[in-house]
Amino acid sequence: MDLIDRYAHEVGQYLPHRLRADVEAELRSLLTDSVEEQARLGGVTADEAVAARVLREFGAPKDVAARYAPEPQYLIGPRLYPAYVTAVKVMIPILAAIALTLVVAGRFRHAGEPPSAAPFMRATGSFLWSAVVNLGVMTLVFALVERATRHREAAGKSWDPSALPPVNDPDRISYFGRIFALYVIAALALLFNAFPDWVAVFVFHGDVSTVYPLLTPAFDGYLPIINAWWAAAFVLNLVVLRQGRWKRPTRWADFCLEVFNAVILLLIVTGPPVFRYDLLIKFVLQWFLVFSAIKSCVMLYRLLRRRPHEPWARV
Amino acid sequence: MVIGETQHTPRDSLSLELRRGALALAVLVELRHEQYGYSLKKLLADKGLEIDEGTLYPLLRRLESQGLLESAWRVESGRPRRYYRAGAKGETLAKELAAEWRTLARVIGKLIG
Repeated sequence: MDLIDRYAHEVGQYLPHRLRADVEAELRSLLTDSVEEQARLGGVTADEAVAARVLREFGAPKDVAARYAPEPQYLIGPRLYPAYVTAVKVMIPILAAIALTLVVAGRFRHAGEPPSAAPFMRATGSFLWSAVVNLGVMTLVFALVERATRHREAAGKSWDPSALPPVNDPDRISYFGRIFALYVIAALALLFNAFPDWVAVFVFHGDVSTVYPLLTPAFDGYLPIINAWWAAAFVLNLVVLRQGRWKRPTRWADFCLEVFNAVILLLIVTGPPVFRYDLLIKFVLQWFLVFSAIKSCVMLYRLLRRRPHEPWARV
Repeated sequence: MVIGETQHTPRDSLSLELRRGALALAVLVELRHEQYGYSLKKLLADKGLEIDEGTLYPLLRRLESQGLLESAWRVESGRPRRYYRAGAKGETLAKELAAEWRTLARVIGKLIG
């Protein structure tokens, strides 16, 4: 019966691929039974009208599929959705403020020139584009966090009260901090790999803008090692989120990443010129290197002495 | 008694919650003997328990995925049908749930008076 075939197919569209064919076949069989029985009871032919009545009672395909689905099928679940909405609400005004600041700054810079709509149009275009890209990165990060932490929600049903962390727990993680770190890593990786020209100084002269890229082609030589650091940091943040708190292995991994970070900075600072304003940028990076080296030493000391990781953590 | 997903008022949703647990027990008990979806629906209806098909069939799949039911496709009267029956784990659980049901019914009976 055409209507039943269409209905079973429609239910299947909302189901995971591995279940689809089996559920569709079973639905066809069951619904045909039901339609024939209804027709027999009513003393009529089992036609499309009877089928329509049976299907109406059975329920809308989407609702029926939801009952068949083995697990929730969503990208960002109800547990993380409020945080996602908050993050988007914070991100959009920040991007809009940056775009507006560029317009106002350009206006002051060219105060004597006749007003033009071009800078405003340019800023609007750049705002929309950056909003789309950042929204994509943010959604991807939250979707990954959702997948990484979903199991803990299910495990929560058999929780052990004796495993409750102490009130002043130095290993407690800030979910917002971890998710923000994931977002920053993903955004930076996307920027440096896909849009390296955007790492630049933009100077506007009326309707004409001049772009001074900060990275020279020589910087590409460092990109693989920086990408490796980003990938490792991304995975570490996901693992920590999945575990819900810092543990000894993740603390050690964090320390190793900090050392790795210092090594990358050292390689860049002592290497050949790779930036447009090489001296100035490397001067800033030197301070980052000093900070990273000190932080690595503190982390190692606290790991060996089993002290709280962050100096400000209370015990 | 009809069990289904329709919920309109607090009374409907509470009533549904009350009966939903009983549905799994009823299915496990009736599937001590092999049935396919529609024959199980009719069997339960004949015994006074009307269940929406849209609720019953997904429940069978869920119980199967939990290892409580076993199933097999067979062709009967020229039509392929999926037959279900309670597995060893399902039968044990049915006995445990039945004991719980009796205790609960006795206690609630006393409370209601």
